[in-house]
Formats: sequence, structure tokens, C-alpha cells
Amino acid sequence: MAPPAEKKGDGSRSSARKGTASPDLFAFLSRRRWLKLTLGAGGALLGTGLGGAIVLRGWAPWVGGLSQLDDHEYQTLAKLATALFPPAQGFEADVERMELPRLFDEFLEGEPEENVTDLRRALVLLEYGPLVYEHRLTTFSRLPRVEREEHFRSWMTSDDLTQRMVSIAFRKFLNLVFYDREEVWPHIGYPGPSLGAPR
Amino acid sequence: MSGIVDLSEAEAPDEQTVDVCVVGSGSGGATTARILAEAGLEVLVLEEGGDFVGTRLTQRDGEMYDQLYMDRGGRATEDLSISVLQGRVLGGGGVINASDVVPIPEGVLRHWARAHGLGHLSAEALAPHQQRVLADLSASRIAEDQLNLANRLLRGGAESLGWRGEVMMHNRVGCGGLGTCLIGCPLGAKQNPRAVAIPAAIQAGATFYTRARAVRIEEADRELKTVVVRTLDERGYHERSELRIQARVVVVAANAVATPQLLLRSGIGNEHVGRHVMLQPQQPIVALFDHEVVAFRGIPQAFAVTEFEREDDPEHGLWGFRIEAVMGTPGIVATLLPFVGAENKAMMTEYPRIAASLLLVPDAPSGTVGLKGSGRPLVQYTLREDLRQRLRQAVRAAARAYLAAGASEVLVPVAPAIRIRSQADLRQVDDLSFAPATTGLLSAHQQGGARMAGSAADGAVDPEGMVWGTRDVYVFDTSVFPSSSSSHTMAPVMTVSSYLATGLAERYSRG
Repeated sequence: MAPPAEKKGDGSRSSARKGTASPDLFAFLSRRRWLKLTLGAGGALLGTGLGGAIVLRGWAPWVGGLSQLDDHEYQTLAKLATALFPPAQGFEADVERMELPRLFDEFLEGEPEENVTDLRRALVLLEYGPLVYEHRLTTFSRLPRVEREEHFRSWMTSDDLTQRMVSIAFRKFLNLVFYDREEVWPHIGYPGPSLGAPR
Repeated sequence: MSGIVDLSEAEAPDEQTVDVCVVGSGSGGATTARILAEAGLEVLVLEEGGDFVGTRLTQRDGEMYDQLYMDRGGRATEDLSISVLQGRVLGGGGVINASDVVPIPEGVLRHWARAHGLGHLSAEALAPHQQRVLADLSASRIAEDQLNLANRLLRGGAESLGWRGEVMMHNRVGCGGLGTCLIGCPLGAKQNPRAVAIPAAIQAGATFYTRARAVRIEEADRELKTVVVRTLDERGYHERSELRIQARVVVVAANAVATPQLLLRSGIGNEHVGRHVMLQPQQPIVALFDHEVVAFRGIPQAFAVTEFEREDDPEHGLWGFRIEAVMGTPGIVATLLPFVGAENKAMMTEYPRIAASLLLVPDAPSGTVGLKGSGRPLVQYTLREDLRQRLRQAVRAAARAYLAAGASEVLVPVAPAIRIRSQADLRQVDDLSFAPATTGLLSAHQQGGARMAGSAADGAVDPEGMVWGTRDVYVFDTSVFPSSSSSHTMAPVMTVSSYLATGLAERYSRG
């Protein structure tokens, strides 16, 4: 696969303007970028309509104890986790039982409000990615697991900077917390902290 | 009052007056605090992070990146091209660095004199300060028997190609080979500012406030300046209350992002504040071997290939690139690998057979630090074509070294990944675009942002470190460097801060 093309204005050098965007890993969807994206993708969303989009998203299982994410956002992240770490492939690790999205919810609790807002927008974008970018009447969570994996992989190497930024942010977070789990370590040959995880 | 006061627990007076308020407790701030306190000044240091020593350093990725790093490990350039790693902990970057000691090369000092009018920072003038810094760091060459297999493999590969390299200097004493240097040493082997300068400063009467975020300097043109401080909660997530510190002198030593951020928020300084930022990008590279390497134990970064590094480039000073072995805990390694699905799991099962390196590429100033509407920093950076070319050269060189060392495959962790199994595969490197958000580029040695210059037309601070046009507000950290000071900035910033703080103490004592 060819590497993503670098386009002018692709974020390789943004202007020296101050006060508009978020620098942090999980705060990448600036209002400017979001507006541009929304306008660009407006055709797809308008074609479906807000009601249609909600119907398309469907029902998400209730998840208790969340402070930042809603059930749909939790589901999007949970589905991404199973795409990244497929339970039926490779070593056995029950990624669903790990509830990695709950760790993300806890992470958001400590973040500034602007980051929380941007990240939740990113999850919405990921969820509606198949509709917005491919004009398919489905959502990320409703894709079969293999398709979700392919879809996410295509975002990693997309020509679109926003897709790459969304993918790198969630990929980094989920990898960090997944491979920090003690139950994963035996499968990857890591014996754990050399001092026995002092606390 | 002296010592360490955790403002997430303790109450501090709403207002207090000191001789000197130092913002930041890292290599620059701790060195400054010690020198000024030993000179008899009343010194108060503000640190946004907490105090982590001993078993509070748990060797766990999730907890430690959250607690020891700026923005909980998530700081990055605006386009997510480069992760900007900075300490947010008492003692700063020295707590979480790879413990490399690389003083400022003389060629760099000559370049600063020639190109930036900084002739006063000569090797002779800095020599006593560097000597003291190296003594404080207990700097020594890493012993041969401390080289783990990953470092020996890199050295073997380089030597077989006839390339120059060196076993590095470090500041460890009593190293237990835990391998988790990048998330702190629970054994306290690092002779860093937290272990040396901060206790010495406290002994001399300095006070360190932790969980104390400096948000603004007010009335900077008056004799008594006010530093507005917000206290943070126990985890450092949210602001709790506000207090005001009055100080005759303010020294900002918060790092090359937070220092310009504070100056910009305060409306202090000229148009050079926040400009001329260098991130010294580092590209990770991974080599897979057919046998166990266990790179995650022992000293992660002990050998450097220096064949391609130049210390006296006429235009830039430090230039070229170097290759240094490195390794991290599983979580952080996984964040760098561009794989999903079964491929992700399969790659991480290779973890014990991985050797990794960082390709350190000094850069020309090509970044800026600005402010978001909220006052948080906005880091923007241009990956210039000359830098991309040197990154590609570095990738080819590292791949050749690992193949020569017997690696079955060398992986360039970009999206999509490049896999090199033979010399012929090196051609793929020509396609490396380093497009934003496709690479695992890191920055651990940010510099510039308030560069020193002989005139206000060329820089943000004067040769004494004082912000041009703002009496008694100083910058003593990596922000002042006009070009890359070294491949590793701890010893350079301690040396220059020692020089600048000594000058400040002398001027202050003369009244």
C-alpha cells in the first residue's frame, strides 16, 4: 500500500495563528477542522437526515457507571477494541471483559472540558465514518468485525489528515491500556515489572 | 519554611512574598533554586507535578505516563505528527529521561558565538559549571558489563560496518537494571536534580510547592512581580484554588513549551517568544531477532552510533543524526506500532525478541508555541525537507546496522509499516513521506521558544537570560538555546542554568 500523500494544507504546517486548536494527543479535532469536515460531509448527513442518522446508529446496550461517555460512544470504542485486539485471533485475551472504554471514560474525567468535547466528537466521527466518507448506510459499530478492522486500517493510511488523527489517537490509547494489563503479559513474554509492581 | 509542600493537601497562604520565585523544578529550575538559595536568597519553586520517588514509581505504563508526563503523556504537535514528551513531576525531565549525559559540544558553543552573538557562553566560561554539573550527576561511562544484549547488537552491527560509536555517559549509581528508566527509577539510581539539587536547595532554605501551576505573571514591570498560581488536585487533573506569590525576581524554567506559554499568557516579551522552537524529532525503529533479546531489562539506552553526527556544522552547529538503542515497557512500545487486528497481537508476541533504536535528528528552529483560547499551549511544527532526508538516511543506516547484527527483519513503524529483510528492501525507505499522523515520531529534547540573543531584534532573552524589556524576569531552561545544544539536554541545561543563576546571584548580592 502506498503511503498517504502529503497534501498542501494537510496539517504538515498549519498557520502561526493562535488560539484555535488543541495540541494534545486527544484534543485534535479543532473547531475549524470539525466545521470543515462537517461541511464536506454535509451531503451524506443531510441525505440521511438527523433522524435517519439516529436510526442508523441504532440501539446501544446500557452501560452503568459512566461519567463522560454515553452508551453509544462506549459501544464505538468497545467495537474498536475488538477490531484492534480480535478475541478469536492470536493469543487469548478477553478484551471485552477488560472494559477498555471504561478506562477511557475515567481518562476523560481528568481532561479539560475542551478535550472531552473534541474526543467525543472524534468518537461520533468514527461511528459515522462509513456514512460520512463512504456514503454507506451503516455505522462503524454495525460493521462486521473484519470489516471494522479494515475500515480502521484504511483510516490509518488515509489521505485525509482528520481520519489519520482520529485513528492514531484512539489506537495509541487502546494499545497503552491493553498491553499494560497483567493478563496480557504472559502472552507477549513480558514477566512484568522487575520489582513486582510495588504500590 | 523550607522543604516540599504538596498543595493538593496543604494550605498555602493566599499571598506571600519571596526574593525569587522559580517556575519549574526540572534541570533548569532545580539548579537555579539551589544556587540562589545557597547565595542566601529566599527561594520558592512552583512545580505543577507531584513528588514521585521510591515505590510511588510503580513501573506501570498507565499510571506513570499519566502522572509523570505533561498532559498525561498525551502532549503532541497540533497535527499529531510528533509526541512531545516532557516531565511534569518534581525534578522534571531528569526523573523520566534515559539518564544520558551529553555535555554541549564545543562546536555548538562556537556556532552560538558566531551565529547568535553568544560569545560569553564559551567553553572556558562554562567549564566550572559543567564540572560541577558532571559531579552532581555522578556522570560516568556506562560499564561494559552493563550493556544489555540489545545495545551490544547495535554496537556489533555498527562495528561490522566500520562505523564510529560510543558507550554513553550516564548519571546512574547503583543501577539495578530494572529497565523502566522512562517511567522513573524506584531504586533512586538516577543522580538527577530530584536526588541532588532539590535536597541541596532545601538544605539551603528553598521551598518547593508541588501541584502548583503558575498561570500568569502580573505587574512584571514593577519591583515586586506577582505570580498567579492555581493549586491542583491530588492527581494534578483539576485546579482547586488560587494564590498569589510576590517576588522581586521571577525565573521561568518550565520547559520549551510551558515557558513561552507562561510568557505569552502574561503578555511578557517580544515577538520572539514562542518562536524558533526545535523539537529534535526522534524516529523509532524496531529490529526483530530469531532469538531472545530481552531489551526491556538492563539499561535501555547505552550505546550510540555517532558516525553520522556532526558537532560543528557551519550553519547549524549540531547536525546529521545519531542512532541510540532504546526500549520501553509493553504499553508504550505498542503505541508506536502501526498494526491492528491479528497483526497487532502477533507483533507484540515478538516483544522479547525486539531490539529498538531511536534515530535522533537535530533540527533547525521550525516550530512555534502559541496559545489556545483556553490558555493551553498550541505546538506547531514544520517537518522540513532537510530533516526528512536525514530521517530517511538514519532509517537506512539503522536498518543496515541491525541487518548486519543478524536481525531477521527491521520494521519502520509508520503507517503503512515498512518491513526490511534485506539490503534490497532498503529502497522502500525512499517512499517514506513522514506525512502527519503516520509516524511514531517523538520529541524528548525541546529547545528554543525564548531564545537568547545579543539583541532584542534577534531573540527573546538577553545574554544574562533576562526577558528583553522586562526587568528581573528571567528564563533559565532549554527555551534559551538558539540551536540544538546536544543530543541530550539535561547536562546542557544544568550547565547553562548554573552559569546564568550564578551571574544572577552575584548581581543580586551587589544590589
